[in-house]
Amino acid sequence: MRQTFLFLLALLILALALAQRYFTEEELKLIQAGGRTYAEAFTGQRPDQALCSIHRNRLPADLLPQFLEEQRALIKYPADGKLMGDWRKGGEIYNDLRKANCFSCHFGSPVHLGGDVGPSLEKYGLNRGQSEAIQRYTYEVIYNAWAYFPCTVMYRFGALGGLTPEEIAHVVAYLLDPESDFNTKPAVGSK
Amino acid sequence: MGKGWQVGLMFLLLGIGLAQGEVDPREEAKRQRELLLQTAGILPTELVVAQGEELFNRKGPSGRTMAECDFGLGKGVLEGAAARLPRYFLDTGKVEDLDSRILTCMTRVQGFKPEQIRRSEVVAIAFYIASKSTGHRIQVRLLFPQERELYALGEKLFYARSGRRDFGCATCHVTYVGRRAGVLRYADVLGKDKSWTNWPAYRYSNDQAWTMQDRIRACYTVVGHPGPELYSLPVLALQLFMAYQANGAVVEEWPAFVR
Repeated sequence: MRQTFLFLLALLILALALAQRYFTEEELKLIQAGGRTYAEAFTGQRPDQALCSIHRNRLPADLLPQFLEEQRALIKYPADGKLMGDWRKGGEIYNDLRKANCFSCHFGSPVHLGGDVGPSLEKYGLNRGQSEAIQRYTYEVIYNAWAYFPCTVMYRFGALGGLTPEEIAHVVAYLLDPESDFNTKPAVGSK
Repeated sequence: MGKGWQVGLMFLLLGIGLAQGEVDPREEAKRQRELLLQTAGILPTELVVAQGEELFNRKGPSGRTMAECDFGLGKGVLEGAAARLPRYFLDTGKVEDLDSRILTCMTRVQGFKPEQIRRSEVVAIAFYIASKSTGHRIQVRLLFPQERELYALGEKLFYARSGRRDFGCATCHVTYVGRRAGVLRYADVLGKDKSWTNWPAYRYSNDQAWTMQDRIRACYTVVGHPGPELYSLPVLALQLFMAYQANGAVVEEWPAFVR
């Protein structure tokens, strides 16, 4: 009897450990008081978000290979395979506070003064060229930043549905195309 | 003529102040405060505090004023009371912050119906009661199990990542302290900035009177995450967690004057 109980308890603990939940059922009940839409963000917390929460955004090294692999697996590409779209459309997305809001954290926009939470992207395409490798890297970081920088603050635009693959390709073009305003016009605040 | 010139100058200086992203926000707020004081002769915070005092002394349907309520240090004692909130109250069996304790007072003691209570009145009363804690030290305790449970929830919420933008308080206010996204640099809310002592406050950039509840909700909603409802448990939990981190800090001025 006692042994069966212990066995079931061990099984339960193992199941919970594997699921990587951050909040307990009891805590989730308390959070319900915050309102339906607020609570849903926590009851629907993704396992990767739970992992970042548990480790306070600094994953232990032994978890990294699997984590990165899982994040890479979330990346999808545009149907036509083109990673660079229309830079003009990309500029609208990049510089829209309610859309991608890139300028708030990154310096380099010719439209808005950029922040310094993320690295400066000033003249991004001029400094890096337009090789397949840099297109792919840029696209993938925007699609799912956690595939390169686990638990970073940058939104996972493609992975969590903030932007479509085509929209991301437009932003890639805005950053890379040598004809793009991003590369031809001076960044706001540039010295 | 003289007044018009002064008001014009004030807006010009305000414009310059808002256009420069790189001035120290605390110094800038002090400057704006002085400017308003010189031109208007009174601060917006003082106006809201005066309004709150009137509401505090207004009789409710039961014939009682808010002086009949206990804000933690005994009936009608306001001196230093806000600096010791949130805390557990035996009469309600709940942990309450300033906002929710005001709500409790208005409903249980003054006899108002919950739907009669306007948010702007609660904020004004919070401004008034908080003004009696200027110069006091934050003293928040984790004595009752309810306080400890709520603190633990607040800590977890603070470090949680959630929603479609992987929102998390700590992601900006721990990892990117001092960095800038938008106009202001991220405050070190658990550390040197003692952000708990910055609210309730008047925000001169958009003429709003906010308590910490409003501030926390805005943190979420500004990045498109649903915010917790006013007076709800998750807001209280986050507040208790932050207040406890600020223990011992002196309240420079309540209500504060911020950008």
